[in-house]
Amino acid sequence: MSFTTLQTDWRASIERRLTHTRAFVDDTDPDALAVVLVSMGSLLAAFVGFLLASAWTAVPLGAFLIATGYGWARHQALLARAVTFAMTTVTLITLGLIVVFIFAESIPAFQYETTTVFGVSVPGFGMFAQARWDAVSEPVRYSLLPMIHGTVMVTTIATLVAAPLGVAAALFIAEIAPPRVRELVKPGIEILAGIPSIVYGFIGFTVINPWASGAFALNGGSTYLFVGMVVGLMALPTVVSVAEDALTSVPDVMKNGSLALGATDWQSMTSITLPAAFSGVSAAVLLGVGRAIGETMAATVMLAGVPRISEPLVNVFYGYETLTSLIARGYGSANGVHESALFAAGVVLFVTVLCLSIGSQYIEARMRRRLGGAE
Amino acid sequence: MSRVTQTALVRDDRTLYEAAAGLAVGLSGVAFVTGLAALLNIVAIDDPVAGLELSVLFGVVLLGLGATTVGFGVASRFDYVETGAQPSAGIVAAAAFTAIWLAVGAAVSGAAGLGTVGQLGVGVFLGAAAFATTAFPREDIGSTMPAGAVAVLCGLALVTGVVGPGWEQALAGYNATLFGDTVVPAVVLFASLVTGWSAAKAYGGFGARGRNVGAYVLTYLVVGSILAVLVGLVAFVTVRGLPGLFNGFSVGGAGLLSWPFLTNGAGLLADIAGVFPALLGTVWLVIGAVLFAVPTGVGAAVFLSEYAEQGRFTGAVEVATNGLWSTPSIVFGLFGAAFLIPRFGNQKSLIAGMLTLGFMLLPLVLITSREAILAVPDEYRDASAALGVSKWQTIRSVVLPAAIPGVTTGVILGVGRIAGETAPILLTMGGGVLPAKSAAPNVLGGFQLSASPPFVSNPALLEATSALPYQLYALITAGLSGNIQNPQEYAWGLALTLLLVVLVFYAIGIGTRYYFRRKLHQ
Amino acid sequence: MSQTDTAETRTNRTESQSVSTTTGETVEETQAEWTTYEGGGETKLAVDDLDVHYGSDHALKGVSMDIPEESVTALIGPSGCGKSTFLRCLNRMNDRIRAASVDGTVTLDGENIYQDGVDLVELRKRVGMVFQSPNPFPKSIRENVSYGPRKHGDIETGLLARLTGRADPGREEALVEQSLERAALWEEVRDRLDDNALGLSGGQQQRLCIARCLAVDPDVILMDEPASALDPIATSKIEDLIEDLAEDYTVVVVTHSMQQAARVSDQTAVFLTGGELVEYDDTEKIFENPESQRVEDYISGKFG
Repeated sequence: MSFTTLQTDWRASIERRLTHTRAFVDDTDPDALAVVLVSMGSLLAAFVGFLLASAWTAVPLGAFLIATGYGWARHQALLARAVTFAMTTVTLITLGLIVVFIFAESIPAFQYETTTVFGVSVPGFGMFAQARWDAVSEPVRYSLLPMIHGTVMVTTIATLVAAPLGVAAALFIAEIAPPRVRELVKPGIEILAGIPSIVYGFIGFTVINPWASGAFALNGGSTYLFVGMVVGLMALPTVVSVAEDALTSVPDVMKNGSLALGATDWQSMTSITLPAAFSGVSAAVLLGVGRAIGETMAATVMLAGVPRISEPLVNVFYGYETLTSLIARGYGSANGVHESALFAAGVVLFVTVLCLSIGSQYIEARMRRRLGGAE
Repeated sequence: MSRVTQTALVRDDRTLYEAAAGLAVGLSGVAFVTGLAALLNIVAIDDPVAGLELSVLFGVVLLGLGATTVGFGVASRFDYVETGAQPSAGIVAAAAFTAIWLAVGAAVSGAAGLGTVGQLGVGVFLGAAAFATTAFPREDIGSTMPAGAVAVLCGLALVTGVVGPGWEQALAGYNATLFGDTVVPAVVLFASLVTGWSAAKAYGGFGARGRNVGAYVLTYLVVGSILAVLVGLVAFVTVRGLPGLFNGFSVGGAGLLSWPFLTNGAGLLADIAGVFPALLGTVWLVIGAVLFAVPTGVGAAVFLSEYAEQGRFTGAVEVATNGLWSTPSIVFGLFGAAFLIPRFGNQKSLIAGMLTLGFMLLPLVLITSREAILAVPDEYRDASAALGVSKWQTIRSVVLPAAIPGVTTGVILGVGRIAGETAPILLTMGGGVLPAKSAAPNVLGGFQLSASPPFVSNPALLEATSALPYQLYALITAGLSGNIQNPQEYAWGLALTLLLVVLVFYAIGIGTRYYFRRKLHQ
Repeated sequence: MSQTDTAETRTNRTESQSVSTTTGETVEETQAEWTTYEGGGETKLAVDDLDVHYGSDHALKGVSMDIPEESVTALIGPSGCGKSTFLRCLNRMNDRIRAASVDGTVTLDGENIYQDGVDLVELRKRVGMVFQSPNPFPKSIRENVSYGPRKHGDIETGLLARLTGRADPGREEALVEQSLERAALWEEVRDRLDDNALGLSGGQQQRLCIARCLAVDPDVILMDEPASALDPIATSKIEDLIEDLAEDYTVVVVTHSMQQAARVSDQTAVFLTGGELVEYDDTEKIFENPESQRVEDYISGKFG
């Protein structure tokens, strides 16, 4: 499409919308319109006031409450529509604010770690080009590599635990279990999701770490191996519930077609159900990986808290630090560039997990389209 | 169409073979469970059992299992029993046994002192042999020989005492040492898993049915282990936590019920240290988060599913919602610290914690409410619209009431989840390690009016406050010590209290869903 | 099974029939002349006093009938009369529904398919099924047809089979062509065997499902309203195919449409509300001169 047609398209769309709005304004009771305008306007003002940290925020907020209260009594339908719209924007605004604030706070660290590459100075490159994190003694450097290494170790082990077990459990719930057993297993796995991460961490700290220390004659009990397994257990319910949704969304008639040809249940699962639900199951694993990356408390209390890379690189019997535990441990006592570097770690986490989330949504949407075509 | 040969519907009698294979599966299961017990130090591998060391007995059992497994294959191959064995065990089994034998070869030759090259050579040789044995002969041989051989090898190592109590092997460069106490159970777990699978295939008579049985055995084992871990975790915390939770508990007396652990603070004045401030903090935290997130989430769900046309806007909201759902909790904490704390008096505060958790709860509420609203059949809406009822009236009197069960369940489960969150409140709400009763937030009595903006204030909301998960974290970082009688017992009691609070929410949520579903199906 | 065994089974059946009459559950038609109807040829499937319960719901009440081989048997009746339930009993697809309990016997070539130790894989290889709405697998046309033989190990296509020379692409090709040919689909898809089957039209998909079923080489083909989701032209193609298949196979077809039953079937069984088999006879007899007044009412459109 050429630029000019795009432009005319755009104009036409705006014009259409304007006509639409005009017609809407003409059709609506002016009193109702005024109330809604006042209500939404004061809400906007309150939001701006809050952003500016103004003590006067209470005034527009009060105005919003009064206008909305009055409007609720008189013009409920129109106001409900406006208010629910405002509520819908909250998720977008929240995500936007997270991006803005976390990025803004991390700027000093990125600037501090500016490194020149081929004559061009790249902010933040130093965080990934060398491996020293030391906020106290000279030279003060903020490399995220040791923590990224830790996160990769923990996430890999967690995925090795959560992905196969999770998919097997999802198959069990969706296809294999008799109804009574399913009624027992499904809530059981949900409850597993509910056990607070700090409780896992507490058990890890008081039971697993001392045991591992003795059983493998380690220096201290922190290991990526067992942190990874605990985190895998925590990511497991996410994998199970999303994968189970995907498996049950495969139409029953397809499975019946396979069974009626004399295929066994297991053959029908592996040749029909799993391939048809493949995208959904991979999305489940991606989301599980996202959970494992973001898991904080178990890692924080079970790991040693030393920003260092283990030797050799794949040594699972060391447990130093992950991105999440770095933030949880360091925040509060840190200030200045150090605090900003913690935000930089948050940026890395946030961007990674957001990419995983968007990726899994894309895969799921593709699966829905494909299965939709099948019905 | 007439068939030349007609296979009978009922399979030939092979009751004896099936019984033997079933017995082998059962014995593998017993070996697995005992191995697990040994790994968890419930039994020791040098305990004498029936005149033998447990480790040697394990070896004998594995030898037996290995030999029988091979026997199953041979019996089928030479047609002593009729089975449905296919021409090959398949590429998946071949790949698995190749990997297993490669690892076995590398490990054994490494222990025998061969260098990296030797390890690799032995590993590759055994892996190739395993591949050939699995892939090329008929299925009954291919899926029993390599499996039986694994068990026989492990059994020999244990019987001869090559690996046993007192055995140790330092992992050079890994700063770790392997001991018999952990390796023997691990070997037993692994070998019994392999023979269990193989015997299960024999039980099903190989072929499609055998694979079905083998896969089901493994799946049941996986699910059983997950449930065992769950029950084990909850039971463990309960047993450890009960003494702390019921410390000084009494029924009757002056007050009808005295439960100091839940009603006391941890100050010097309290004779029995309790968690009251943190418990109250968690309650207020949840209330605040719910007040923010539930109306917003439900409202947004109504707009998205009833008013909005599917387009770029709804797509963006959906992506944002799912993105927020998967955002790590620590990132929410950072956001709260950067955005909320400067706007509420520049210090960690209860209200900052409330709103941070509210932001986390929002996507959960939105997603479940939207599902619940979309699940309301369109016929309801059409029926209502056909009566000339306006859209908003329809939503209010038809759609929302029908969606309430789903929304309620979602909210309760979401609340259970955020009530246990530590990372966000660690950064935004803080609080003391062992707060005294006076540190409990007094939100209701704290509201004050003033003549200057912001006109209404509440110091209780603006103070750092402790909550159950945060207090547990703080105790751990303080090394489980503090100015109280028995910090260990106190911490376990605290962990149990937190677990109970969360599990009660989950139990109510799951119960509600079950109740409404039953009502719907009646 | 010897001839005497068959005779015994038949006597048993008549006995149980009279029992159900004395319990008063069945109406007077049960003792009418058609109960002795044995169909045109050799009996392929003999159903004896079949009862199905879904929980507390009694879906089929003491149904007995003999289905002759190499012919088309139509099952007709109003919605919810149990005809689909009956069909699903013949290859034990009702086993999938856990609340369902089945009493009585169904005998295939003299073997009771409800006795202990029956191999469901073997049963379903011999009794194929075509469903109401076309349900091809989301795979290529070729894979759809060869799915059954592959799962039963009759055709091998995997990497290992190719490595060891057991794979026989020629045999697979021949089987695919033969099955598609038999289902009158070969000409339409011969150039696009590797396309996804979901891209076919509804009628083509249904014929693909029939081809998929034929590739396993069954004796009996069960069809559950195979044309209900199709347009008139596709429907008439399926109907021609059914008549054609009856030369080699025993076809049992559930249908909603009486015209279809009259056109394609050799014998017709009429189920009426409550899960009873009311009348079973030659199709001509049923449509021209039924024994039962209820069947006559149903056929003339006065009832049901």
